[in-house]
Amino acid sequence: MAIPKESPVVGENTVIGPSILISGRLTGDEDLTVRGRVEGELSLSRTLIVETSGVVKANVTVRNAIVSGVVVGNITASESVELTRDGRMVGDIRAPRVIIVDGASFRGRVDMGEAEPGRTAAERPIARPVARPAVPGRTLPALPARAPATTARTVTPLRAPTPPPAPARPGSKPLPPPPPAGRTAPPATPPAPPVVAAGAKKKVVVRKATKGR
Amino acid sequence: MANTIIGSSIVIDGEISGDEDLVIQGTVKGKIQLKESLFVEGSGVVEADIETQNVEVAGRVTGNILASDKVELKSDCRVVGDIKSPRILIADGASFKGNVDMDVKER
Repeated sequence: MAIPKESPVVGENTVIGPSILISGRLTGDEDLTVRGRVEGELSLSRTLIVETSGVVKANVTVRNAIVSGVVVGNITASESVELTRDGRMVGDIRAPRVIIVDGASFRGRVDMGEAEPGRTAAERPIARPVARPAVPGRTLPALPARAPATTARTVTPLRAPTPPPAPARPGSKPLPPPPPAGRTAPPATPPAPPVVAAGAKKKVVVRKATKGR
Repeated sequence: MANTIIGSSIVIDGEISGDEDLVIQGTVKGKIQLKESLFVEGSGVVEADIETQNVEVAGRVTGNILASDKVELKSDCRVVGDIKSPRILIADGASFKGNVDMDVKER
């Protein structure tokens, strides 16, 4: 039964048609094309092709996987996993070669292992430099920005024009009272605290932005 | 074209359901539910209860077959289980063990 493994006849490949639902365990030694749904567990010693109409909700173990449809579950491939333009996947990918084409949607982890360092090393630096400089590059300017803020009094006069609009707004009135009450300070300083507060808020926003990226 | 084919090296353990023709060259265990025709080819092995419109068996089937239209057992097939269908054809050379019930009237 397993003898015709290498049969070159293309027509004999297994096809799961668009209206078919298979739930359970599917194993085999030949290419499998999924146009319908497969749920459960799927293991092949050859290639899995999930076409655009195909939905696979299963843990997949294959040699190659080409996903143009939907896969929910983990894929472990001994050779490669490719998410094409129409591919959507949620789950983890484990394969020495992982190809994600523009337009594909993917959420999950990727593990390319340590095999074939030549290939993976070539692919990874492309993705990383984009992420790394962005983080340190923005955190560094953020530090000097904090220093003037703490020694704020020299800076505050420059920003003094900004507080006047605050008293003008009815909604902002509750804010000004607390600073004078807490500090009971010289009349020159009351405008300063809201300015510092505004600056602090702005900086917090900046930090969030850097973290988000 | 739209046919579903389960290739000869494929083993499915579970349930298959659908609205199209299904050709089995491999092994299916569990349950098969179709609104169209099921073809179990010479290399096919089915250990499942089958519920379809038409069934053509040239391979091995173990399990009960319920077909709303027709069941055809080709020569060289081996079927163990009960068959319930308005039309049942058993070809010369077929091997079959089980009950036959043709009493199911037209859909």
